[in-house]
Amino acid sequence: MKFIPLKAQAGIVGFESPAVEYVELELSLDELLIDHKSATFIGFAQGESMMGDGIFDGDLLIVSRAEEVSHMTVIVASLNGEFICKRLDKHQRQLLSSAENATPHVLGEDDDFRVEGVVIRSIRLHKKITRLL
Amino acid sequence: MFALVDAVSMYASCEKVFYPEIRRKPVIVLSNNDGCVVAVCPTAKRMGFKKFVPFFQIADSARKAGVVVRSSNYSLYADLSQRLMDTCSRFAPNMHVYSIDECFLHYDFDADDAYWWELGEKIRRTVWKEVCLPVGVGFGTTPTLAKAANHAAKKLSGFEGVAVLNCLQSRQNVLPKMEVTDVWGIGKRLGNRLNLMNINTAMQLSKQPPQQMRKHFSITVENTVRELNGEVRLTWDESRADKKEIYSTRSFGQRITDKNQLKFALAKHAEIAAVKLRKQRCVAGAMTIFASSSPHDAAPYYRKSLLHSFAVPTSDTRNIIAATSAVLEKIYCAGVRYYKCGVGLVDIKSAVFNQGDLFTPSTDSPALMACLDKINSRYGRSTLHFAAQGIEQKFAMRREFLSKSSTTNWRDIPRIKC
Repeated sequence: MKFIPLKAQAGIVGFESPAVEYVELELSLDELLIDHKSATFIGFAQGESMMGDGIFDGDLLIVSRAEEVSHMTVIVASLNGEFICKRLDKHQRQLLSSAENATPHVLGEDDDFRVEGVVIRSIRLHKKITRLL
Repeated sequence: MFALVDAVSMYASCEKVFYPEIRRKPVIVLSNNDGCVVAVCPTAKRMGFKKFVPFFQIADSARKAGVVVRSSNYSLYADLSQRLMDTCSRFAPNMHVYSIDECFLHYDFDADDAYWWELGEKIRRTVWKEVCLPVGVGFGTTPTLAKAANHAAKKLSGFEGVAVLNCLQSRQNVLPKMEVTDVWGIGKRLGNRLNLMNINTAMQLSKQPPQQMRKHFSITVENTVRELNGEVRLTWDESRADKKEIYSTRSFGQRITDKNQLKFALAKHAEIAAVKLRKQRCVAGAMTIFASSSPHDAAPYYRKSLLHSFAVPTSDTRNIIAATSAVLEKIYCAGVRYYKCGVGLVDIKSAVFNQGDLFTPSTDSPALMACLDKINSRYGRSTLHFAAQGIEQKFAMRREFLSKSSTTNWRDIPRIKC
């Protein structure tokens, strides 16, 4: 069943809300958080190895494929068929976790690796979203 | 200069964007209802899988070969198509989206070959980086040559995704290697007739006297010949003419035997076709209505089709649905397990130049239909629909191998391991 979101109107004239002129100022998070819409995708972080960089299990990651990848950027990559989020050490060609005792993954010849994009924001969902998920 | 950018086996490539685990695997995509193969990725192509083959014929061999099979996921393809077009539009002031996976770019200046090669490479790199889709780019001095260059870029050896048809020499390099049916606008039937005249390659076609081609065939073929020689004859508007016939047809998810279900399905197809008809501002003088069982079922094959002529050409959904209901008795046969049905609007002409009938007034209500179309395009398909289509749609699609809608449904967004 589909509902049409039309506001009911009655033919009664009263004082117009003084805020009416400002409705166009409504804020959009897309506008603030996304720079390059057609090159951006959103995913869920799963796991705890990037907590040192402020990325926790269940966070939303906004990933831009348009960004240039510089040394030590937090990126999303596909590694052997899986999306992963790591810091990219370009000089040593390795992937770093932010957990202290984690060993870096050194990229080898056999690795199927591609940088998918740069994590430009991460969003913590402090209260669970149940409506759309 | 014109450029044609198009995605390499678009649907299969789209399936790979959010599933890195299948990027190196052979992937095929099935049509609505998982009926037949509509896209084959290059890896699967090399293994011998082909488009337009019924899925059940290759299901076994696909499984044995480890082929990844997917149902069509149009919400994903539409979103990625939008991203592809957005990205391409940055590279030219003037763009024309030709289909879900291809667009023309137009440049109103000249430049040397190296410039176009470099631009083509840049478009390919950017689309691959930002949208994760592989594309081919063809440059030509006419739209038809841009299409030919695109064919060369993807199919001929010596090209790695970019080709430029900028001068006689480059045309002489490419056109002899193209079948005449590889030329834009030359279909299979036209191709056969050309073959009989010993015109087998694009080069041979380009050498024909244009006037004579018009006499033998049509002005379209004359234009094609001229375009192959570098004379621009087509504009965006002409590049896709209105359809002469509009069909809406589909196989059912499961067989149906109930008369009402068949009626609902036919009404649904009538509605889909009518919307398309109105979109191109036309009216139809007649329609065909058909239903059939599956030729692969054990029971004897049943197929019936009828032509219904309208007293006055129409584009009103109510008239078109009424026609399907009127012939239902003649099409329905108890006991038949229906597999497929559909309608086709034929004898289509422009609504503007349609001659009225003095004695039979039209029952169309263009205002009502315009209102209906507007509501449905604004609030989603079938927000308002006809009761004749039924409420519960049992004939909804079968999509057994559907991938996630990673960009359009929050539940489906990718999981990223940290």
